[in-house]
Amino acid sequence: MLKRKLANVGFVAIATAERRPFGLAALGRYPLFPPEFLDFVRQAIPAERHDAIVDALVLTARKPG
Amino acid sequence: MPYFSDTDARSIIQRTYEAARAEDRAVADSLYAPDELAGLPEGAVALALGVGNPVRHAGVGPGEIVLDIGCGAGIDTLIAARRAGRDGRAHGLDMTPAMLERARQHAALTGFPNVQFHEGLMEALPFADASIDVVVSNGTLNLSTRKSRALAEMQRVLRPGGRLALADFVLGETLPEEILRDPTALAA
Repeated sequence: MLKRKLANVGFVAIATAERRPFGLAALGRYPLFPPEFLDFVRQAIPAERHDAIVDALVLTARKPG
Repeated sequence: MPYFSDTDARSIIQRTYEAARAEDRAVADSLYAPDELAGLPEGAVALALGVGNPVRHAGVGPGEIVLDIGCGAGIDTLIAARRAGRDGRAHGLDMTPAMLERARQHAALTGFPNVQFHEGLMEALPFADASIDVVVSNGTLNLSTRKSRALAEMQRVLRPGGRLALADFVLGETLPEEILRDPTALAA
């Protein structure tokens, strides 16, 4: 969906440069996530998803010209 | 239908980032190479809150003008400034004054002469059309309630042929609604 949004505003040569799963352990490194929030997520999401709750993506693109 | 209004989202995000305290280098060490972190102020390194290394993927080079959208405490802006060199320039933009203050302190510690920080919104970038060679953003786009507008602004400020490197979280599978409605999830 993000690639489509980039194309919609005129970007070209859109590519995925990197994609890494982020699980609870990786999220726990960030001071933005207090322990009580991580506990809440741990309880709300099935255990099989705890190692890959989101993906960290780096997209590259270019403006035509 | 967004779970938060623009105003509420900005307020939550600003409060969260103002409260963020540097704890250790774990995030920075997971994203950046030692030579990229060498010589940077410890505060900038410890307050790395991004999710990738967009400056590396953008291939920022000498003489380029770089805009770091959502610069936070400045780590990507400073790395870009070093790569752009004395003939280039790195601009950091953030909407949270407390983070800009930290970024300015960190830039002063480096002594880099080619860094400037600006307060503003990613949906209304305070830069002229076609004035930037490279736009980078690290963990910021997801904070916008108007992502297409923010992307259009990135496209507007880039010169023809200019490059974008965007790091952010994406969901493979949707999260439970109680998480999506949680202000902590919004801010991070």
